[in-house]
Amino acid sequence: MSKAENVKTVTLTIDGKEVTTRWGNTILQAAREAGIYIPTMCYLSKVEPIASCRMCVVEVEGVDGMILSCQEKAVDGAVVRTGSEALFRERQKIMELYDVNHPLECGVCDKSGECDLQNKTLEFAVDTQEFTARDQCRPVQNWGFISYDPALCIMCERCVRVCTEIVGDESLQISPGGYKSTIVNVKPDEPCAECGECMAVCPVGALVSTDFKYSSNAWELEKIPGACAHCSAGCELRYEVKHASIDDPEPKIYRVTNDFEFASLCGAGRFGYDFENRGARKDPEAFARAVEALRKAETIRFSSVISNEEALLLARIARHTGARLVCDDARGYQKFLRAYREASGKSLYGGNLGKLQRSDMIVVFATRLYDDAPMVKYAIATASKRQKAQVVYCHPMEDPRIQNLVTRLIRYEAGAEEGVAALLADLLVDRRRAPEELRRFLEDLDIGYLSAESNVSEEEIEAVRRVMWKRKRFTLVVGADVYNHPRVENIARILAAIERYSDFDLIAIPPASNSLGVSLICDLADEAQGYTVGYNAPGDFVLSALGDGDLDMPAMNQQEGTLTTIAKRVVPTYPALPYGGYELADLARALGIGIEHVIDLTPELPAEEGFSPVAFDDLPLGYDNLGTELRGYLLENAPREGEALPEEPAEIDSYDGTVVYRCDPGNLFGPFTARTHQLAAEAKLVGSAQFAAAAKIADGERVRFEVDGIAFERVFTIDTSMKGTIAINPVFDTGLRSFAISSYRFSPARIHHAGDADE
Amino acid sequence: MSLEQFKNRNVGTQNYVMLDLGKEPANNWEKFKQVVRRSVKLELFTGLKVTFREMIKALFMGEMHTVKYPFEKLPIAPRYRAIHEMKRLLESGHYRCIGCGLCEKICIANCIRMDTRYDENQRKEVSEYTINFGRCIFCGYCAEVCPELAIVHGGRYEVSSEQRASFALFEDMLTPIDKLTEQKEYPGFGAVSPDADKKIKKTPLAY
Ligand code: SF4
Ligand code: SF4
Ligand code: SF4
Ligand code: SF4
Ligand code: SF4
Repeated sequence: MSKAENVKTVTLTIDGKEVTTRWGNTILQAAREAGIYIPTMCYLSKVEPIASCRMCVVEVEGVDGMILSCQEKAVDGAVVRTGSEALFRERQKIMELYDVNHPLECGVCDKSGECDLQNKTLEFAVDTQEFTARDQCRPVQNWGFISYDPALCIMCERCVRVCTEIVGDESLQISPGGYKSTIVNVKPDEPCAECGECMAVCPVGALVSTDFKYSSNAWELEKIPGACAHCSAGCELRYEVKHASIDDPEPKIYRVTNDFEFASLCGAGRFGYDFENRGARKDPEAFARAVEALRKAETIRFSSVISNEEALLLARIARHTGARLVCDDARGYQKFLRAYREASGKSLYGGNLGKLQRSDMIVVFATRLYDDAPMVKYAIATASKRQKAQVVYCHPMEDPRIQNLVTRLIRYEAGAEEGVAALLADLLVDRRRAPEELRRFLEDLDIGYLSAESNVSEEEIEAVRRVMWKRKRFTLVVGADVYNHPRVENIARILAAIERYSDFDLIAIPPASNSLGVSLICDLADEAQGYTVGYNAPGDFVLSALGDGDLDMPAMNQQEGTLTTIAKRVVPTYPALPYGGYELADLARALGIGIEHVIDLTPELPAEEGFSPVAFDDLPLGYDNLGTELRGYLLENAPREGEALPEEPAEIDSYDGTVVYRCDPGNLFGPFTARTHQLAAEAKLVGSAQFAAAAKIADGERVRFEVDGIAFERVFTIDTSMKGTIAINPVFDTGLRSFAISSYRFSPARIHHAGDADE
Repeated sequence: MSLEQFKNRNVGTQNYVMLDLGKEPANNWEKFKQVVRRSVKLELFTGLKVTFREMIKALFMGEMHTVKYPFEKLPIAPRYRAIHEMKRLLESGHYRCIGCGLCEKICIANCIRMDTRYDENQRKEVSEYTINFGRCIFCGYCAEVCPELAIVHGGRYEVSSEQRASFALFEDMLTPIDKLTEQKEYPGFGAVSPDADKKIKKTPLAY
């Protein structure tokens, strides 16, 4: 289905060097690809050229004046000069202007040592200020996680552009006024996404982390490459580490940075980094008990916050001891993937975030996008801004935070995912390509019933059909709501049919950190049985990286290994902090499985599932000059036998009364994020006024309810932007128990006042 | 002087002046006579005259030259590089250090460590600062790099301690606030040059 892009190239000469680049690339891109340096201040690879600094000027033979190389497309035969006396003077003048009244505070500035302004001021030898402008009082503003110092701001606009074009939040704007211009936060009262993207791309010290501010100089910090393990995006990041203080020589993570030119992070990755298992020591007695427990365990229960290697090691331990493997947050996804394979003719979904960014027609189904998958939301934001993409958001709950991206909302009844999937199939499958049986399946669908029960009117579907007209690149995103749906297999087959017989590419968001890797590596059972050893999960004997179990385990920032991401990429992560306790490999050795380090297993990850036999130490990192990701390797998406067809949708159960939806808000993804000092928050039940009325509770009241076998008691707050009788219930504060939930995300719940006795 | 000249040890051809030292004693008898003559003529006491004079001054006139270290110490040169001092601003009494960390970075012996934080007045505060004098080689780089003339060398040169490591804290080196008026600038490594005023150029002001 992929439309092969015929790669046209152009050849031009830059500084006497012949450079061949893809047609459509700018002169700047061509130069960077060839490793030729052109100075820039405002240019940021991941957004469209901003063209506010004019530093990237070059001379092109036969063209009068100077040309902005970030804007001008490379053309065949052009002869470009990037450095001359005149160009140097021009750039020097720009730097002189940037430096007018710039505070001489590099000595205390957080950016010092990695500041573009500092570097270029030296590069262009600006040592005096020849002219002046009246300075003004511009006090520092505190936006929560981020502080803004307008006095240091050079108005390059990068922050505004990432917030709009990458994050899709549109929280920042320019307040124009010549020399008085500043950046304004248009959402000072309601929090923005708090992702810190603006501060990552700020070339100077104008936007900095409030928590990190003035705590260390950039050059004192050791940068340790890692992959964020909070959600399935596995974003590239660097833990920046130094001794905690003069009195405490133990290393500590001061902040997280990333390759912001090409990649992004959400707030969980950027601000939630200190989730390590501190102070773990080797306790031989507990270790002996753990070995004993593993020997007799009938079930090994674990969570998706695990590396590929550890998952494989658990599978080997389970084979060795005869235990069954249970991973509650990956089980549904594995079912989905397996059913998908049988129906789609390939082993993995066909879409990826890069294609999603370039899509102009996007259907999002069964995920609370903003909270579940920040990187998918970012990609959709980019598609929305650059491609003017039509974004159809299908979910039982409206989300005002992504109102600016969503062009069409389809609100269906909780529980009706299978019906909605069928309606989507009816809408999207191209009858001309579909085989006879699939056509028959579609014809046999009782559209009237489905649309009545799921509460999606035929007009809404018709409206989507209309906006699809003349669209070229299509992506269908499906999320965590379906994986634990009782009919997940059939939903997978329906979506596979859509992908196979339409122009849509599918992305099935893995529901938790390494759910994709776990689904590919382990054979998971449905239910725990008998004596259970929990690894970051509840059990009779608990191995825990939260430090609250029977034996300590290293957290993801204390161990090396690989993760499998939503991009179908296997990415390495390295230990940022030391760990003093036992690891899974020690347990495996004690059980008689000969293994020195877990990363010895990296080349042994199952090749039949698409993994490559590459040793951990040979895995590459980083990006090339044009932003192509080099990190790790991509899973092979092999063709598969089979053309399983969906069966008729089952009857749709409707939910009456109050329903709660399991969802960790914003930057929180489970207990590991919840224990970090910046993200720690109180978990609240959040619902609409209508929910409050239906449950007979008031704003700010303590309530009690039970879902997924967990008794919750927490404060209820009304969110006026919400509608309907579904409330959002986070589980990040329930510790390891949150990793043992495998039920469908919507649950009917009876809400009691906290003081009342049970009826 | 060229190398050949330098190597020429033929004294006769150079501008040397030969002293008339008299006749060398030729045999043992003459040697004996010379010793007797010198002893009897009391030449020895001419040589000891200065010693005797100073002894009398020291013993009876209170003009002793021996420095009774460690009870007494000689003054040292103002540019001597010994134990560091942390200076204060004369105007406000606040410490001068802005916490830029350049001394920590440049220190060749890696003996400076500092902790900084964002304080209540939105300033960078030096919350703790140490120098391990067991490692310091008194090179003066820290004083030279300091943009604020905050860290300088002082005259305290006694650095023996019971352990290899010996840490000084910020407070130990900081001018005591009650001695602020006695604080002197350090003229050595890192100080502003005497003609600094001439080198400074004023930034034009719009108002
Ligand atoms: S933003 Fe850059 S140039 Fe400005 S004070 Fe900070 S480090 Fe110095
Ligand atoms: S805050 Fe930073 S990124 Fe934003 S305009 Fe100012 S200098 Fe540029
Ligand atoms: S939580 Fe997910 S989206 Fe956010 S930084 Fe981590 S991996 Fe990326
Ligand atoms: S004098 Fe030299 S060795 Fe001693 S603290 Fe200063 S820079 Fe370091
Ligand atoms: S160089 Fe000077 S101002 Fe900077 S931290 Fe050291 S003592 Fe303080």
